[in-house]
Amino acid sequence: MPRLFTHTWIQGLGMLFLLACLAPAPVMAQDAVTDQELRDTVAGLTNSDFSAKQTVIEQLMRMPHRRSAAILTAMLNGDLHYRKDDEHVVIAQAGEADYRLTDPVTGEDLGSTEKSGIRKITVNNQLRGVLRNAIGQLNLSSDDPADRLAAVRETIKDMSPSSIELLRAALAREKDSRVLEQMQNALALVDMGNPDKAVRLGALERLGGSLEPEVRNRLAALIEQDGNGAFIEADPDIRQAATVALARIDNRVKIFGLIETVFFGISLGSVLLLAAIGLAITFGVMGVINMAHGELMMIGAYTTYVVQLMMPAHIDLSLFVAVPLAFIVAGLFGIAIERGVIRFLYGRPLETLLATFGISLVLQQLVRSIFSPLNRSVATPSWMSGSLEINSVLSLTYNRLYIVLFSLLVFAALLLILKKSTLGLQVRAVAQNRAMARAMGVRSGWVDALTFGLGSGIAGVAGVALSQLTNVGPNLGQAYIIDSFMVVVFGGVGNLWGTLVGALSLGVLNKFLEPWAGAVLAKIVVLVAIILFIQKRPRGLFPQKGRAAED
Amino acid sequence: MSMLSHGIVRTLLESDRGGRIFLLILAAVALAIPVANLVIPESSSLHLSAYTVTLLGKYLCYALLAVALDLIWGYCGILSLGHGAFFALGGYAMGMYLMRQIGDRGVYGHPELPDFMVFLNWQELPWYWYGFDQFWFALLMIALAPGLLAFVFGWFAFRSRVTGVYLSIITQALTFALMLAFFRNDMGFGGNNGLTDFKDILGFNLQSDTTRVALFLLSALALALGYLVSRYIVNSKLGRVVVAVRDAESRARFIGYRVEHYKLWVFVFSAVLAGIAGALYVPQVGIINPSEFSPLNSIELVVCVAVGGRGTLYGAVLGAVLVNYAKTWFTTEFPEVWLFALGGLFVLVTILMPQGIVGLFARLRGRAAARKSAESGAGEAT
Amino acid sequence: MSDGQDPMNAEGMAHTPPEGGVDTSHGPILYLENVSVSFDGFKALNELTLYVDDGELRCIIGPNGAGKTTMMDVITGKTRPDAGTVFFGQTLDLARLSEHEIASAGIWRKFQKPTIFLAHTVFENLELAMQADKGVWASLRACLSAEQRDRIDEVLALIGLIGQRGLRAQSLSHGQKQWLEIGMLLMQNPRLLLVDEPVAGMTHQEMDRTAELLTSLAGRHSVVVVEHDMDFVRSIARKVTVLHEGSVLAEGSMDQVQSDPRVIEVYLGA
Repeated sequence: MPRLFTHTWIQGLGMLFLLACLAPAPVMAQDAVTDQELRDTVAGLTNSDFSAKQTVIEQLMRMPHRRSAAILTAMLNGDLHYRKDDEHVVIAQAGEADYRLTDPVTGEDLGSTEKSGIRKITVNNQLRGVLRNAIGQLNLSSDDPADRLAAVRETIKDMSPSSIELLRAALAREKDSRVLEQMQNALALVDMGNPDKAVRLGALERLGGSLEPEVRNRLAALIEQDGNGAFIEADPDIRQAATVALARIDNRVKIFGLIETVFFGISLGSVLLLAAIGLAITFGVMGVINMAHGELMMIGAYTTYVVQLMMPAHIDLSLFVAVPLAFIVAGLFGIAIERGVIRFLYGRPLETLLATFGISLVLQQLVRSIFSPLNRSVATPSWMSGSLEINSVLSLTYNRLYIVLFSLLVFAALLLILKKSTLGLQVRAVAQNRAMARAMGVRSGWVDALTFGLGSGIAGVAGVALSQLTNVGPNLGQAYIIDSFMVVVFGGVGNLWGTLVGALSLGVLNKFLEPWAGAVLAKIVVLVAIILFIQKRPRGLFPQKGRAAED
Repeated sequence: MSMLSHGIVRTLLESDRGGRIFLLILAAVALAIPVANLVIPESSSLHLSAYTVTLLGKYLCYALLAVALDLIWGYCGILSLGHGAFFALGGYAMGMYLMRQIGDRGVYGHPELPDFMVFLNWQELPWYWYGFDQFWFALLMIALAPGLLAFVFGWFAFRSRVTGVYLSIITQALTFALMLAFFRNDMGFGGNNGLTDFKDILGFNLQSDTTRVALFLLSALALALGYLVSRYIVNSKLGRVVVAVRDAESRARFIGYRVEHYKLWVFVFSAVLAGIAGALYVPQVGIINPSEFSPLNSIELVVCVAVGGRGTLYGAVLGAVLVNYAKTWFTTEFPEVWLFALGGLFVLVTILMPQGIVGLFARLRGRAAARKSAESGAGEAT
Repeated sequence: MSDGQDPMNAEGMAHTPPEGGVDTSHGPILYLENVSVSFDGFKALNELTLYVDDGELRCIIGPNGAGKTTMMDVITGKTRPDAGTVFFGQTLDLARLSEHEIASAGIWRKFQKPTIFLAHTVFENLELAMQADKGVWASLRACLSAEQRDRIDEVLALIGLIGQRGLRAQSLSHGQKQWLEIGMLLMQNPRLLLVDEPVAGMTHQEMDRTAELLTSLAGRHSVVVVEHDMDFVRSIARKVTVLHEGSVLAEGSMDQVQSDPRVIEVYLGA
């Protein structure tokens, strides 16, 4: 059996890896300027004359090197120093007792030094303006659209004649549609100051499509009244246009807010799905209540923690090791539980519930004794951190996105196993008629153990996913066990599709209720809703049909 | 009157040997403890400290709670994993009364608002705190709050024929949700600190030995009465119907019993009993907080009943005292071993002794009796 | 079934049909006319027409899938007919009543597998089944009257379990359990008793006892027995109905039915 699973898992992991590669990675700029040229130019900053420094800054502005912006930013922040002994320019960051030095051109570590060993490259107010301008310019011509986008946003906040000039120049070169749109919005904001009414109306028309908070603030200011009740903007047409544009913006923000809520709901739902499909097998197919299911998830999460401890240099790969390992570890625990305890309790569901609850207590205490009762932090691989920015009001974090995909993958794999594999066939046979299956030569005890192991293994895998979302601690499992039972009951016992629909709809319902009722009340409302739902459909959304379903 | 009640008690206990033994022991303890605490001087080794009296009082409250659970689990077949919620609600009702009794003696000295409300900058008492300055009102609420919750919950659950493990899990979800709710400061029940710093009850200082002994005696009385009323219910036709529902629900429905009404009635009664236990518990331990709602508490209770032997009532008492004594001992001597022990107990009891200690004794007695009759050669005992 | 003390029970009792509502002035107590039931296209009952007289003991036989169980389901309200009418006496339309209402109108069914209360004694089983106020409060304060004890004893005698009255039901033999269940139904004073394969799994002696019991019931109650065992049917039946593919194939005395060529074909030809 394990071979069967690992095979599927490798395929799954491969797909995940592909997805990871597709995720946007920083694009390396081609350096038109060599390091040495840059170093020579930077050396000019040691000159104490401000106008000389300005000349160097303007030179740097025209040098498209990947470190140029970083150097200027360091200078603006007052981190740029030079060593007194060799006048080597360094970026120095204050540590606890000394200064940590990095090379401005290569970014490599140059060790640390006393404060007395370095001198700061000072800037005055005029230079600060020049620096901001130069950084903006450099970013606007960066090769990475994300950098350019950020530069435009930065410019919108603080418009000066020179930055407007830069923006117009950059607009002409821009190819990326999102950056282009952002630039046009920025210029439209500039046009708002134009004395020509037609230009201003045109600008308003354009701004109605923007989602930048800055734009919204500016528009809102247009229709405000001063202390005397007089409108700040005198022209009623402009006010009218501003109101329309604002309404358009608010509408879009609302829609994106809705999308975001749905996404959060689906994300929560997929966590519930991961937690519940293991249960759907042990509870739905075998009829065994496993109250230790949450603790098997906890074991999966701790497996991730241990894997990361053992391969600290390869955090990015750790999850690919943790997923199969957690499956095996939790699966073995599950088989041990089934053979050691549950096997004696078939047909006595309440006793099974109590015994497995006892096991859950033991497992919790075991983890407390081994790993301490404190939460352990599990690192997030770099390809899972960050977020996918759709626009300035909607961004989806990668870890949630991946977990949604992952849960669907696990679901599909499980479905495949139950429908296509020999084990699946035997599991279904035993679930339907144990005596008959045994008569046909199915080793029902063996099948029970493997089925339980499968459900437990999936709990372990769910634990790996959870370790990326919440704290890993001894109480990890408890928080999910009740919810996952609700999902299984709501979806209909013994029906995997029901579990899928149940999990996603409960997740979305929860997230929609949360802003309205608060997290705790939302939970209670959902609970009450499920109780009411069971009134109408005692067997869940997708009830099992046929004689087997009768009492 | 006393003759009559004496008669009733006698008929009740006629065929209840375990109950007779239990009540005798309870009466003996109730007589001995006040003497040991109040009369025997502290210097004597027979003297019992106030701490021990309170600890024993606590056990009695748990025992009453266990009787309540046994009624619903052992006889009605409903495994409630949320009975701690009713216990806690009764406790909170009592706690609110005790809170109001503090008056202006709190840290902030506010004449009306409890300390935590002053701390949260509340200006006036929430409406649901009205009336709790009256003892009779608190008494009413001790029964009403858990009873009402049980009624609403049970009405929905039993009507829709939610049974077995489904019901168990929903009861667990119920107490879990309540725990979350009571943890919130804006619920107005003191958030995670709960209600504490009580001063006195009906004017008697809660710290004094006499009050403590009185509370202990009250707990013993409540336990005895709760036991007798439960025994009365179990012995009545109602009790037989309930067991019939447990064993063959659809059959009972078929011959004309409204099964959901029976379940609801017993469930509500059991919840009220649990609430009373909670109300007696709070003045003795001096605090009530949301952790009383935690699912673990309720499930510990279940293991008490299972260890003692369910469906016997006195087994529940025995289990509650034993398990809680074990808990006290473990948590002071080997705190980290307690959960292992508890977890192991769950597994061992369910697999090896499903009828609990009482069942074990019954089996041993049965075996001894069989041996005896075999020896005497009176019958062909097999 | 007066019920004034228990408010919780009021809702359920409101639908109880009027007492003595079974009008058998025309002879038959049960009328099934042109009843059809189909499941997913399969016709379980096909235009079935059947009458049972008041006080009659009727046996229904037929091969598997003939529609015997479906017919019982229709009579007890578990399954609704797609077409046709089902009347209890002249006036009660069973197709409109709930299972609960049908039971309180006097039709009781004994299922194949005995379901009795195993943890209770034989006496208590009958006590629980007794017609009485079944509200919660009434049960809490219930005390058996002398008449009620007599009634239980009477039924105990009828089902031959007087000696076992104090025994827990779980220690009864299979046949005794079946009789106890019949006894529990008798406690309801049924007008019509439907009995589903009563002798499956019984020893010969038990079968004879059962035959005796069922014949002694006829007259006071109408009894419909569905059974496979031909010897048993022969020992009790006055009138036999043969079902085949959802409708009546033949009806008459056992000898008549057995010599009917269509019946022989159905039972032997297939």
